[in-house]
Amino acid sequence: MNGPDPFPWRRLDPRTLLVHCGWMAAPLGSLALTALATGGRITTEAWITLIALGASFAAVTLAGLVRWARTDFRVTADSFEVRSGLLTRRLRSVPLHRIRTVDLTATPLHRVLGVTVLRAGTAGSGERGGELSLEALRVAEADRLRAELLARAGAGAGTEDPVLARISWRWLRYAPLTFWVVGGVFVAAGSAYRALDGIGIEPWKIGFVQRAFLEFGDSMLWLTIPAALLAVLALGSVGAIILYVENWWQYCLEWTDTQTLRVRRGLFTTRSVTIERARLRGVLLREPLLLRAGGGALVRAVAGGLGNREENRRRSALMPPAPRRDALRVASGVLRTPQSPFAASELTPHPRVALRRRRVRGLLFAVLPGTVVLVVLGAVLRGVLGDSGTRVLLHCAWIYAVVTTLVVLWLARDAYRSLGHGIHGRHLVIRSGTFSRDTLALQRDAIAAWTFTTSPFTRRAGLVTLTAAVSAGEDGYRLPDLAAGTAPALAAAAAPGILEEFLVQPGAVPPGEAPPGRHRADPLRSR
Amino acid sequence: MPDHTTPLLRPPRHRVDPRARRWWTVQALLTVSGPMLLTALVLAVLSVLFFPGALPWLGPLLLVALVLPALGYLVVMPRWRYAVHAWELGERAVYAAGGWFWQKRRIAPLSRVQTVDTVRGPVQRRYGLATVTVTTASTAGDIKIAGLSDARAEELSRRIGEVAQTVPGDAA
Repeated sequence: MNGPDPFPWRRLDPRTLLVHCGWMAAPLGSLALTALATGGRITTEAWITLIALGASFAAVTLAGLVRWARTDFRVTADSFEVRSGLLTRRLRSVPLHRIRTVDLTATPLHRVLGVTVLRAGTAGSGERGGELSLEALRVAEADRLRAELLARAGAGAGTEDPVLARISWRWLRYAPLTFWVVGGVFVAAGSAYRALDGIGIEPWKIGFVQRAFLEFGDSMLWLTIPAALLAVLALGSVGAIILYVENWWQYCLEWTDTQTLRVRRGLFTTRSVTIERARLRGVLLREPLLLRAGGGALVRAVAGGLGNREENRRRSALMPPAPRRDALRVASGVLRTPQSPFAASELTPHPRVALRRRRVRGLLFAVLPGTVVLVVLGAVLRGVLGDSGTRVLLHCAWIYAVVTTLVVLWLARDAYRSLGHGIHGRHLVIRSGTFSRDTLALQRDAIAAWTFTTSPFTRRAGLVTLTAAVSAGEDGYRLPDLAAGTAPALAAAAAPGILEEFLVQPGAVPPGEAPPGRHRADPLRSR
Repeated sequence: MPDHTTPLLRPPRHRVDPRARRWWTVQALLTVSGPMLLTALVLAVLSVLFFPGALPWLGPLLLVALVLPALGYLVVMPRWRYAVHAWELGERAVYAAGGWFWQKRRIAPLSRVQTVDTVRGPVQRRYGLATVTVTTASTAGDIKIAGLSDARAEELSRRIGEVAQTVPGDAA
């Protein structure tokens, strides 16, 4: 090529090569631990691991070197291009106007080395869209590249306060109100056990663990079991707080310009997600049971181009668990509507039959199986346990039945009261769920299709579940158990231009060749 | 319950091909009923050969747990499906109904259509049937019309392609 190229090809940072060696830390660390635990004696197994490690190190380094040497990128007047591959050269080119999100992610290792990974996401969610990622760039260069890429999205001067929210450490009190308080402890214990097991240490054979368990068994159980539970809770709370801090350190949600929303957060791993306004289809206010009891909520974005389901779950978070009031303020700031759709408390309730369905479902799937199992066990084990044993099991059965019935009835009532929907300006508002009460404000013009789902039970109850398809977030959002008579009108009002031509006034004879009628659609019932 | 001012969603106009019933029957035989019947047969034969004493209670158990559900599924599912499955190509949208126990009616506007695929499985080919899938940008908006005759499927996918071009697109 002669003459200066206006759009020169650029290289990745050479420190990328060091990043590729990062995975060695874990196995090397565990090997060191093994050596320590076994008193410096390295077993044959450890030798094999070490040799395998060496071999993979060589292979990975070589592959990394080749990949680094053969990857380059450039930004031309209208596209972003990445070349890669050793033998088969691959040129991926994405038109700049199709780039929707540009994220910078850095693991602790990246940060030590002063580099970061840049990902450019395009329209279309997940595997259909595809995305370009550069591993890895110097932080300053990545920032510059991001600005370059997003410049074509149409920049303009912001008028209102661009910063929607910053971290407030008073929110930390909501950290323990998540599932991870209890679940996290078990997950941590499980992974620790697996890690130890992997390097040949069996925790059960270590002296002090055995002694601790024996002492636990010998002590006063009525005192030690609650104490152990308390310890788990305390440990879980500490873990949850640490996670919260790691995830939301220096959290900042802001409009970087009128069209781009950016979330930055993270202590060791810094995450920065950019969402283009045109891709933002709605906002989800999520209130898990515990968090709701504490008056908290969290906010998620419903946006396209955030990757597949798992990636979307991670990258759509707009706000940590925080007071509901703050969450509502942020949600309306993200939607940029003068009147927040979440403020509308007058959502239309769903028919009462929906309450009955929730009760029946709970009784059938929670109360009945447990009770039956306990009763059957009591009857079958009469020979083994004797009469008194059977009596204990039967008592357990009725206590279980009474307690779970009360819980189920309460949950069913709560679930029913959560159900609601409404049309509010440009948004369709949907609320449902009890374990996690989710309130969604979905842009009405983003709805791409309607689905009406029924089962014989809902058909008898005169209910239908409506699903709005959008090409963002989780793709489909359900309005469970609507009145069958009003659902079509609601769908037509919420997203005009989809189903009007298939609507009839009740009583009118539908035209056409042999329509499979509503009652005929169910031959078993007409018998 | 439906009051007389709110409109209702009528079923799609066109049924699928009658041969679809045979296709669904074969499918049921291959995937659900066949394996269940085979299991029942094997258990019964084993019982006769090795544990003749178990037959008085095993026989009725097999009948209730395996044979009757398998036959019921084989007989009921295809007919029920045929009564439910229907499709229609409107001026601005595609409309399809499907399922049997759980039924689904889905409407997607033509302006959102991205691709139209026609798929013929090995069993379907034997009966001259095809499945037309209309995809949109959302996986929850993909429309599947199963059990069309070959000619109809071809015509449908051609017409959707034509109409989708004339309708102003916003395939977001």
